[in-house]
Formats: sequence, structure tokens, C-alpha cells
Amino acid sequence: MLGRRGFIAGAAAGLLAPALPARAATADSAQVLIGWYRLVLELVRHTATYSPPVAARSFGYLGVIGWEALAATRGLTSLAGQLNGLTPLPPGPPVLDEALVLHAALTGGVRALFGNTGPTGQRAMDAMERRMGERAGVGAVQPAASLAHGRAVADHILAWAEGDGGAVVANMGFPLTWSLGTQAGAWVPTSLIRQQQAPLLPEWGKNRPLAMPNGRACPLPPPPAYSEEPGSAFHAEAIEVYETSRSLTDEQKLIARFWSDDPMLSPTPPGHWVTILVDIAERDALPVERVADGLARLGVAASDAFIACWQSKYEFDLLRPVTYIRAHIDKTWEPLLITPPFPEYPSGHSTLSGASAEVLTAIFGPDFAFEDSTHEADGLPVRSFPNFRAAAQEAALSRLYGGIHFRAAIDRGLEQGACVATHAIGLRML
Amino acid sequence: MIRALTLLLLAGPALAEAPVVPRFVAEEGALPHSFTGEWEFMVGGGVATFDCSGDGLPEVFLSGGTAPAALFLNESRADGLAFRQIDSGLEAEMVSGAYPLDVDADGIIDLALLRVGESHLMRGLGNCKFEEASAAWGFQSFDAWTTAFAATWEAGADWPTLAFGTYIDRQEDAFPWGSCTPGRFYRGSAGRFDAPLELTPAHCPLSILFTDWNRSGQPALRMSNDREYYKGGQEQLWHVEPGQPPRLYTEAEGWQRLRIWGMGIASRDLDGDGFPEYALTSMADNKLQRLKAPGPEAQPQYADVAFAMGVTAHRPYTGGDLRPSTAWHVAFEDVNNDARPDLFFAKGNVWSMPDFAEKDPNNLLLQRADGTFEEAGDRAGVASMLQGRGAALTDLNADGRIDLVVLNRNGPAEVWRNDGPAGNWIGIDPVQAGPNRNAVNGWVEVRVGNHIQRREVLVGGGHAGGSLGPLHFGLGNAESAEARVIWPDGSESAWQVLSPNLVHQIMR
Repeated sequence: MLGRRGFIAGAAAGLLAPALPARAATADSAQVLIGWYRLVLELVRHTATYSPPVAARSFGYLGVIGWEALAATRGLTSLAGQLNGLTPLPPGPPVLDEALVLHAALTGGVRALFGNTGPTGQRAMDAMERRMGERAGVGAVQPAASLAHGRAVADHILAWAEGDGGAVVANMGFPLTWSLGTQAGAWVPTSLIRQQQAPLLPEWGKNRPLAMPNGRACPLPPPPAYSEEPGSAFHAEAIEVYETSRSLTDEQKLIARFWSDDPMLSPTPPGHWVTILVDIAERDALPVERVADGLARLGVAASDAFIACWQSKYEFDLLRPVTYIRAHIDKTWEPLLITPPFPEYPSGHSTLSGASAEVLTAIFGPDFAFEDSTHEADGLPVRSFPNFRAAAQEAALSRLYGGIHFRAAIDRGLEQGACVATHAIGLRML
Repeated sequence: MIRALTLLLLAGPALAEAPVVPRFVAEEGALPHSFTGEWEFMVGGGVATFDCSGDGLPEVFLSGGTAPAALFLNESRADGLAFRQIDSGLEAEMVSGAYPLDVDADGIIDLALLRVGESHLMRGLGNCKFEEASAAWGFQSFDAWTTAFAATWEAGADWPTLAFGTYIDRQEDAFPWGSCTPGRFYRGSAGRFDAPLELTPAHCPLSILFTDWNRSGQPALRMSNDREYYKGGQEQLWHVEPGQPPRLYTEAEGWQRLRIWGMGIASRDLDGDGFPEYALTSMADNKLQRLKAPGPEAQPQYADVAFAMGVTAHRPYTGGDLRPSTAWHVAFEDVNNDARPDLFFAKGNVWSMPDFAEKDPNNLLLQRADGTFEEAGDRAGVASMLQGRGAALTDLNADGRIDLVVLNRNGPAEVWRNDGPAGNWIGIDPVQAGPNRNAVNGWVEVRVGNHIQRREVLVGGGHAGGSLGPLHFGLGNAESAEARVIWPDGSESAWQVLSPNLVHQIMR
């Protein structure tokens, strides 16, 4: 596997090969796609508004852009008419250079979706556009038309994205004012950061999903009834979190940190799953249409997963373990992980991981073993998994180890994710 | 329990009194200079103040980025600030910051120039003239994007120990994240520095500080790191033991992981427990750290009390831009001389980051009697919306009131004269013979009745610049004060009764 920063050089070497007709340029196209995704996995981490729901949305639209750019040159089935509100893409000329179309479409998509990134991210996008464009352009067929069509694909999808309710994220996703719920067990802030005294993105569940019919398409039963009574189901869940935290093994601590996937310090949970897919694509030298198919389905599922999950979070508006445990069990208790600043039920990482694992299982099969090196550069070890569902189970359980979720949020989150995934899996693509 | 009692006593009689808001008068055009540049100068912009003319007024050095740095001779008077740019030998380009210190203990202040490229040590020749002394002092510079500096004198050393913090590998334009370059750690003796040690792991510090955080008498090296660029990084605290390479404090020793966009450090004992609190600047949030269990066996575990104390300064408080703030230089100084240190943040967008405030006013947070702070930047007149970076809070005209210089990125430097009202004050200038003439990492204590203010003598921290000169203490209405110095080797001078409204030199 190439190192992240070594990728451009590697891609450049591949792209310097003699130009071939578009359909024969598969390897180059895959490198264009993967190259831009490698950059995006950094930009997600370094763009302040990119909390997990926002990151997932970008992976959703970027996946669609990549797929439609490829579909235009290969006559593959468009997602227009399959995704909510996506109208037919503009037709392109009969002869196009696939790598250049893809490059132009991704350039437009990334620049729009990550336009708010900092000066270093802007510089990195400039460098990627320049270098990848130069290489992809060598001997390209119909370069001007190809670039124009790629841009048109991106523009069409970005215009569609503007109307989904998630295009504008102010104050890093935190409302300037917020009224706390008054019911017993309602969420209360857990952070000492002033901005986080209001919860993250309370309206996100109302966004237009991509493949799922609406935000309530994968509903959940309520969590155990809130109770402060010892022996109640709710109290028992809190005791489980508390006792687990007091007896964590080194392996459990590692698992908690491995899947922590904190915004602005990692590619976020959806980026973690995208990293898994991109690494597999590189390792197995997957053909570009399979990479694009996977990235689109995974992105769609991730984006919808956060809409479904956020809809449920604000429907049930449940407090976090740290609030309950300090109030009723041990006022000095500290969870291993930093508690995220929004309601507890269900677990976002569980919903997301459940959805991601089902999508990847549908693509690669139920026994596809892989290694996860997402956090290698951050000093965390590579972890091996026998299949995607095992990884999702571990990701979900990591929230219990981290002390930030009760059991029900984890189990129901995985179930919700599986429901969300059916819509992405059902898309007619390859 | 002891801490709570202390706060209660401090809060007692003056609880209902709002702090006096000083008037800061803008001295427009007094420092005609800008810190300019693009990517490589999105950080930096340090200000250094020190008296090199011997008249008791601090000169002002401003870094220039792509423009030459500049030294301004201070010709201020009580009723107005005035400066004159002079040829000093400090007019280097690509300077990101500077810190004054007396490297060779000759009584003439020298300067560490932080650069994008090779940093320099500049020897003071007197009369505000400087020459590069890197070679003469055996200082092996290195090519880097240098962003942070600190100095100390280790126990028994006759030559300073220096630390340089560096930022990103600037050759990595496409994937710069995770490319933090190692800083350098210099020791020396007999007038020369040895070959440096690399400070690894490196996490892109924007402020570093030798500080005796646990009052052990052996300063450690605190680093505030920019999480934008490190991978696997966090804030750092290094053991600095004589003769040993710096060694990181570990979780087993109590160090708690904190990951912020670290940009500046300031320290002051705010609660009177004898241990310093630390203010750390960042984006959308700022930290005020208080040691959880102060005492001889203290572990480096801090509670973040910024929210409780009212100093998160997380978004603009005036001007209508409600996006999150970006804070750089930070300093504690008592701007109204009410015997309670106040807190200043220089603010400014990194560089056209639309998720963060473009009109981001500086903060002047005045400490109330109960130990909390209230915003007064707009009322005091320092709520500039320019792209602040470095700053200096020092008495520029010897009137006993703390004035303010802010260096803005791609904008004019700003200077404000503090026109009061202000209470009584005292300045303490500790001086000892031999190495470490300015008693760096010693402590100055000022006592009025039972109330002791204390501050550590520091070279480092802030954002890319620092001040060297008498330490300022507000006295409120007190007509006299006692002062003493705890010298870097731990010996204590006797308490001396001193007259207010004067600078006193305490000689060892």
C-alpha cells in the first residue's frame, strides 16, 4: 500500500504511461478516483464543520459524482431517478476521456464540498488539481470536452445537493440558542466547551436522504424507560457502562480509541469506513467501476445513516451515561472517551457502522477478511477483521467501552444501520 | 477545600464591584509596520519588547514575514506614545517571531530571531545595535518553519538552554498533514552551544514555555501544539533534567491527553495557591487550566476552568460576526492595577476561513473580585477587527499602566496607550550576577496584607514573541507593598517594603 503522502507520486507514475483510449484507461481512472479520495480523507479531518453527519453527507454526494462521471463514459446505469430528487445528468459528447472526466468532476465536487477548508487544505486541493490534471491530461482524448463534461456532472449534482437541508452548516453545527428538553432523562450538555452547550445539528434528521425514502424510514423502538430506580432496565444499562469502565482491559481500551474517530482528529466514522474501502481497492487493484460503485453505495448509506440516526436522537432526546452515572451512581466517574455533544440514543457510530458493514458485505461477501489501517499514521495499530460485520460489531461495542453509550443505543443502532443499508444496496448500478 | 476557601476570601468584600475599565487610546500610525505574507506566515507575527537604549522604556521589535523585521526606538512620553524605526541589525526577512534574553549575561539584551528558514541568535551590542552571534556562540541553526521558542538556565549551568519549536514541512504542499518537523533543544557551556538534540515526537507547536509548573525548582518544557497538522499528537510536557535528553511526561505520570489548535500559552498564579494556571489559545474555544491537586506531589493533571471563569472567548462579543473565534497571543497583565491580573487574547482569522469569524475582536477580559472575568475589549477600546497575531502588554511610557501592541497579519500594527483609570502599581526587576542575569524561571512575589501575587519570570510562551523587563503588579489602593524574589536556585530574598508606583530592581 502506498503511504498517503506518497500517493501523488505513485499516481503520477501510473498516469505518465502512454495515453490509451478511454475504455482502456481503467487503471488511470482508478488512481484518479482514489487519489482524490485520499485527499478528501484529509480534508474531512481538517475542515472545521466536518462533524460526522456533515462528513457523511459529503461522502454521499462525492460518491454519486464519481459514479455519474464514470457512468457518462461507460454507459453505466445512472442514479438519476433512483436517488431522491436527482434528475437526469446532462448528456456528454460521444467520445470522452474517462480519467479527465472523473478528474474534473471530482475537482468540482471536492472544491465545492470542502470550500470552507483552511489555507493548507486549499493549497492541497490546488496541488492535487494541478498534478493530477497534468498527468491525466497527457495524450487525453478530447481533453476540453472531457473536462467540461466532468464539471457539468459535478455542477448538476452539487445543485441537487443544495436543496437537501444540509448544505449550510453554521457555527460548526451548534445552534446559538437551544432549549433543553424538560422530560425526565432529557439530554443535557456534557462538555466544558461553550459552543457545545447546545447539541450538534438538531435539524439534521429532517434533511432529504439520498436513497432512503425519508428520515423516518428506519424507525427505532424507544430505549428502556428512563428510571433512576436501582433494578430498573435503565439503571441496569447504566451499571453496565459503569462496571465495564472499571474493568477495561488494554484491548478494550484500544478498541475504544481505535473507533473513537473524533472529528477534526480523524477522518470521522464515515471516513473510517471509506478508508477501509479505499485500502481494499488499492490492495486488490480493483477496477474503477467497482471502486466507484462501492464508494457511491457506501457514501449514500453513510449519509442516510446519519439522517436516520439524528432523526431518532432528537426524537428520544436521551441523556448520556456520564450525566446519569455522576448523578446516581458515582459523582467522580470519568468515561474513557470524550462524550459527544448531542443526545445518546441511538449510537451514531453503531448506525453508521451497521450500514457500512452491510453495504460492503453486499459487495464483497460475508467472509471478506481485511486489515484496517485507518489510524496507522496516528500511532494506532492495524487491526484485522474476519469480515465487515465483525468490524461493525466492534465499532459499536467500542462506545460501551468508551463510556459514551448504553447497550440499547449500540444494539438498536446496528439494526437501524442495517435497515438504512438496504436502500443503498438496492440501487441499480453494476 | 483549601482552594475554595482561598477564593471565598478573595471574593469577600469586593464581590459586588465591577472591575474598572481602562481607556486605551489608539496611537494610530505610531508603529508603521505590517506582518506580511501568505501560507508560510499564516502563523507567527511575534512582538518582542525590551529596553536596549537604557532609558527604562521598552523598545518594540516587530516581525515582518516577507517584509524586513523592524526595531522601533521608544520615544514615548506620559501623554503620548512615539517610536522611531532605527537601523539595528535586526532587519532580517522571513522572521516569524522573536524573544529577548540575555544569552551571555553581559547585561545587554540579546534576541532570538525565529524565521522561516534558519533562525538566528542576535547579540546585543548596546545602544540598540545587534549582530548575528550564531556562529560565535556555536549555535547550529537549521532550516525549518520555526514558530516557537523558550529559554531557561538549568541548575548549575553557565549558559542558557534553548528550545525551538517548528511547524510543518513546507515542502509538503499536497499532503502536509502529519509532517510536523522536529524542534531542537540546545544546551551549552563556557560561551558556546553544543550540537542540538531533536525534540521528537514533534506535534507542530505554536507556543512553548519552560515553566516550573509543580514548583519543584526544575522547570519543565510545556508545548502547545496545533492539532491541525499533527497525527497521533497532543499537548506535551517534557521533563528537563540536567544532563538528560528531554523526556515526555506520560499518562502513567498523570499527564492527560489534550488536543487543541494550540497557539499560545500564558501563565499566572491566579488563585494564590502558589502554582501557575495556564491559559491556552485555540480556535472556537480557549482553555484555562488549573492544577487539580496542587502540592509537592502534584501530577500534571489540569481541570479546564475556562468556562467557569468566563474566559472561553469562543466567538466575537461585538461587531455582529457570530462565527467562532481564532485566538493567538495570550497574556496576563493587570491593566487596571486593581491587584487582579487580567487576560488578553489577540484574535484574527487564520486566512479566509469562512467557518470562523472574519471580524474577530481582540479580547480584554478583566478579572472580577470573585476570580471570574468579564469582557471589556470593546469598552476599553481594543476590540480591533484586524487579523491579530502577536502582541505585547507592557508599560511603554513608564506611567505605570500597561499599554498594548498588536501585530496584525497583512495589516497595520496597532498600539494603544492605557490612559487609566488605574490603581497603584509596582514594577520588580530581579537581577543577579553571573549567568541567568534576569532570573529566568525564578519567581517574584508581591504581598499586600495577606494577599500575595506571584509570577514566574519567563522567556517563551505567548504567540511568537515575548517581553523582557520589570514585572508589573497592580496594587489597587495599597500605599505600600512588600516584595521578594525566589531565585531560580530556590533561594529567597528577604521581603522588602517598597514604595508603590515605582520600578524597583532587586539585586541578588
